Amino acid sequence: MIARKITKRKWWILPAGLLVLIGLFFVLNKSPAYALDESGCLQCHGNAGLTGTDNVGQKVSLYVDQQSIDTGAHRYIDCVACHSAKPHDAGTSLTKESMTQLCGSCHQYEEKQYVQSIHGQQVAQGDGAAASCVDCHSSDGNPHSVMRTLEYTAPTYKKNIAATCAACHAQEDLMANYGIVEKVYESYMRSFHGKALSLGMYRPTELDKATCTNCHGAHDIKAVTDPSSPVAGLDNLSKTCESCHPGAGVQFAAGFLGHKEASPQNIPAAHYTEIIFSTLLITVVAFGVIIMLLAFRKFVAMRWKEKA
Amino acid sequence: MSTAERAIPSELAHEESIPRFDIHQRIQHLFLMLSFAVLVVTGMPLKFAESGISKWWIGVLGGVEPTRLIHRGAAWVMIATCVYHLAYLIYNVVVQKKKFTDMIPTKRDVILFFDEIAYFVGLRKEKPRYGRYNWREKFDYFAMFWGIPVMALSGLVMMFPVFATKYLPGWVVPVALIAHSDEAMLALTWIVIVHIFFNHFSPGTFPMNTSIFTGKLSRGRYMTEHPVEYEKITGQPAEARESK
Repeated sequence: MIARKITKRKWWILPAGLLVLIGLFFVLNKSPAYALDESGCLQCHGNAGLTGTDNVGQKVSLYVDQQSIDTGAHRYIDCVACHSAKPHDAGTSLTKESMTQLCGSCHQYEEKQYVQSIHGQQVAQGDGAAASCVDCHSSDGNPHSVMRTLEYTAPTYKKNIAATCAACHAQEDLMANYGIVEKVYESYMRSFHGKALSLGMYRPTELDKATCTNCHGAHDIKAVTDPSSPVAGLDNLSKTCESCHPGAGVQFAAGFLGHKEASPQNIPAAHYTEIIFSTLLITVVAFGVIIMLLAFRKFVAMRWKEKA
Repeated sequence: MSTAERAIPSELAHEESIPRFDIHQRIQHLFLMLSFAVLVVTGMPLKFAESGISKWWIGVLGGVEPTRLIHRGAAWVMIATCVYHLAYLIYNVVVQKKKFTDMIPTKRDVILFFDEIAYFVGLRKEKPRYGRYNWREKFDYFAMFWGIPVMALSGLVMMFPVFATKYLPGWVVPVALIAHSDEAMLALTWIVIVHIFFNHFSPGTFPMNTSIFTGKLSRGRYMTEHPVEYEKITGQPAEARESK
């Protein structure tokens, strides 16, 4: 009886149930990927309390957060690929510079570009604040959790690059040391490019907007004062503009406010337009509001009289 | 259009509503209104890009590129509507030899403006007696001759920045952005505060004054809103049925 009822009246219950089961399989079957650990390093180094003493007698944490490796780009590369065949012989912690050299043992092209970049040159001079590989490629500065650029939570994913640069370049005090006074992040987010990229969706036609690295370069980034920078001087800048805006000339590049507000010195036409239009806006709107309020008061009074 | 040629008194003697706008004027207003609304809802999220509601709304529209596409489409509709209006104006004045004298601001409009203010604050007992267009309608109309060129030119500069900077200095692009953004706020606030208030919330018009869509205005409203013109086209005194 029951079976007949199902087949006759509620025939859809079987395929629907099957669909739910298949769905549940995919929802519940989310076993995480585990990092490759051929030598079993994590048996000890996976303990949060593990510490050691380096050659100089400094106490250092030897803990490796497994989760950060599990989701990292190098999860299937064994520990000793980076940490040398005899990791316990290493006497000192890595420095910024030695770590970039370590990355460069595989990523040779990137390292070659990096050592010529302004960041690389600063790091070579022992500047601890300048960016090295992990400062941009890892969300917590931990080399174990370096993420691939195409993962949309990666700090180097197109939509996240500006915020990654801003982690240092929006720090006024830090930037003052390098003579960078422009509020680069703020002005970028106000620009056509910044707005388009921050409002855009996660698909190629919405992501083809310029972010910091598209104009300034990435691994080979140069100081804007360096004549070889793609943004140094109107000639270089217009060529950089042209890589996305075909036919853009020097005048096109000259319309860029240079990460600064318009002022009598910086594109005065824009500065005075701002003054004229905001004055007009305030005057006309104030006039409209006054007329409207006077009329409103009168209309309410009329209605009140009518009722009375 | 001049009132004298627009209506024949004998025909209007028994009609309850009186024609006010011809079909072209109604179409022009409709397309202007629709394109304006679309331009506002697609332009504001680009202006206020950092706010959460903008991000949500851009998502609803399908992304920043669809939003820009809709904005540009509506812009062309608005430009086409204005070209239509100019062609209509030229045709009527040059070919049909009609005189568009009602819309032209005169000294009397200044007097009527102060009369209206005096009426609002209670210094004057009676509403000023308007002709075919009151000072607000004239202001709205002529504001377009400033606003549309500013918006269209600055918009076109931003639509074709490479082309624009081939012939013009580079500063036109940042100038266009500032002008476009501020003029948009001016137009929007004026429309919301003044235009919508007077055409939806003034006595006798709530919920809305439909004459621009139907082309007709009721006899009673015509008498109170445009008494001078009413007397001209009907030959009857406007006060006769004001009580209604």
